[in-house]
Amino acid sequence: MDEGRNPSRPDPDLAEEASWVDADPEMLEFRADADAGTDRRAQELTADVAAEQEQRRQRRYLMRALLRSPTFMTGLVIVIFWVLMGAFSWVFTQSPFSVDAMASLQAPSGSHWFGTDDLGRDVFARTMAGARTVLIIAPLATILALLWGGIIGLAAGFYRGITDEVIMRLVDVLLALPIIITSILILSLLGKSLAIVIVVIGALFTPVVSRTIRSAVIGEREREYVMAARLRGERSAFVMAREILPNITQPIIVEGTIRLGYAVFTAATLSFLGFGLVPPSPDWGLTIATERVFLQIAPWTVLFPAAALASLVVGVNLITDGLGRVFSK
Amino acid sequence: MLRLIGRRLLLMIPTLILVSILVFALAEVLPGDVGRTILGPYATQEQVEILNQQMGVDRPLYERYLSWAGGFVTGDWGESLLLKTAVFPTVMRALGNSLILAGFALVIIVPTSILIGVFAGLRRDSALDRTITVSTLSMTVIPEFVSGVILLYIFAVWLKWLPVTAMPPAGSNFFDRFYYLILPAIPLMFLELGYIARMARVGTVQVLAMPYIRTAVLKGLPRRRVIFGHVLRNAMVPTVTVIGSQVGWLIGGLVVIETLFVYPGIGKVMVDAAQYHDVVMLEASVLVVAVIYMIANLIADIVVALLNPRIRMGG
Repeated sequence: MDEGRNPSRPDPDLAEEASWVDADPEMLEFRADADAGTDRRAQELTADVAAEQEQRRQRRYLMRALLRSPTFMTGLVIVIFWVLMGAFSWVFTQSPFSVDAMASLQAPSGSHWFGTDDLGRDVFARTMAGARTVLIIAPLATILALLWGGIIGLAAGFYRGITDEVIMRLVDVLLALPIIITSILILSLLGKSLAIVIVVIGALFTPVVSRTIRSAVIGEREREYVMAARLRGERSAFVMAREILPNITQPIIVEGTIRLGYAVFTAATLSFLGFGLVPPSPDWGLTIATERVFLQIAPWTVLFPAAALASLVVGVNLITDGLGRVFSK
Repeated sequence: MLRLIGRRLLLMIPTLILVSILVFALAEVLPGDVGRTILGPYATQEQVEILNQQMGVDRPLYERYLSWAGGFVTGDWGESLLLKTAVFPTVMRALGNSLILAGFALVIIVPTSILIGVFAGLRRDSALDRTITVSTLSMTVIPEFVSGVILLYIFAVWLKWLPVTAMPPAGSNFFDRFYYLILPAIPLMFLELGYIARMARVGTVQVLAMPYIRTAVLKGLPRRRVIFGHVLRNAMVPTVTVIGSQVGWLIGGLVVIETLFVYPGIGKVMVDAAQYHDVVMLEASVLVVAVIYMIANLIADIVVALLNPRIRMGG
């Protein structure tokens, strides 16, 4: 059961009833029937128990459906592969940074599977290690966007009225420029660092996320359980965080995976344009930007990182697609 | 209809003012002491103040904003810090180049993606349909510089069918330009393909389920006429709507593609200005892009209104 809904709350009366429910649901039903008019809370709790079982059943069903979805599983395998590479590729590849002037721009061979770049660095090692930066930036930026967008969207959707109006007009202004342009503008002025890129992408994705969450909240706020919580006299913050939020997890998860795909796209694009990372980072976008002058004489320096980036983006989007399909069934 | 356009144009003004304040604030306030930034840590405080006064940055913020915005409206966009040339003609020339590339890309994008989408919709749920859906979606989500370098390698380096550069050598005729623009336009097409094709497919599937299609088939119309006369026409409305919503992506794509192909468009101007801290050029190019973006969105809305009688009459 949602921990927020009973024992952890400082309400001795309710806590007692809750333990009683756990002990003997039939007894509760009996009592609820006995004085239906006065003890609505007990009824709510029985409903909670049933709802919880239903929820658990549904979650199991969703998991099974996801495991059986070829789209989702293919995406998951690709993404897990790159996460492992980003985390551990240093262990088994050559160093992605060691320079060998005598071996520059060598074609793929037994000792260098993907060849070497202009500084004689091993392209295989750099391609595998290149997953790291993008897989740090994109998820963190997505989490920031979900956090900020979640708070803004909940507030706008829950309070409606003037709060909603003001927030949504601000969102419109923020969306008046294409994201890539705003981020170039900000990053060129704030300087280049991993943390700044994460914050900027997170901030620029916030308006879209808050829009999605706002509309999900609006769909929920007139439901009976929200009314009940409000009539119990719960504070708005409690109703938003403990009642509405758990009920909109599906749209939040789908929005999160969609944003993750865009975050990978945006992070890679920014480092390609020269606003993300600085050499000698093996980041894919950066590598494609710096090595593209060798496309005619040493295409492997560019094509392997390009293929790697393409596979990661497609992987994330396959996950999104699979999730969306399973959830919408 | 005219009232609708008029209202939208009026609504653009406050948004534009807010965007210009945002751009101004980001570009002028964040860097802190401009004179110190230019002169570096070894200049005396006196020298910094003199430079600040010469550039007028010691005046109050609102005064600077008003003179900057006023200059922007009257076409006095200042002088580039980097190139030492007037900003207005530079930005306008670049904008012209970008519009040629974007227009050419749109001419390729729209019919191709609609045809692909309708084709998939007509063969709904077949293996072909699934292949088309998955591959167009993959093309859309892959960053344009990735598909760009891969296409460059295949068609320019390996097969040698197309030129490596995006601009023809000086002195070649106007139509040669388009031959050079094919390669940059394809990644832009990929960027939009997934969404537009998907909408066209959904539109087709929906239209096919309509009773009037059954009627048309049953009364013995040849398949070609059913498709072109009924299906295509009615599946167009949602498709055109989504094309309008893709303008932002197209602009973002232009920035990247112009950088990749070293094409002298407004995206390249903007990225260079940002790289080298040419604030005057940066402000002007960002604001121009914002205006173009809003106008493009407006045109998209007007086209949608024209296609949909309910909006057309109601407006």
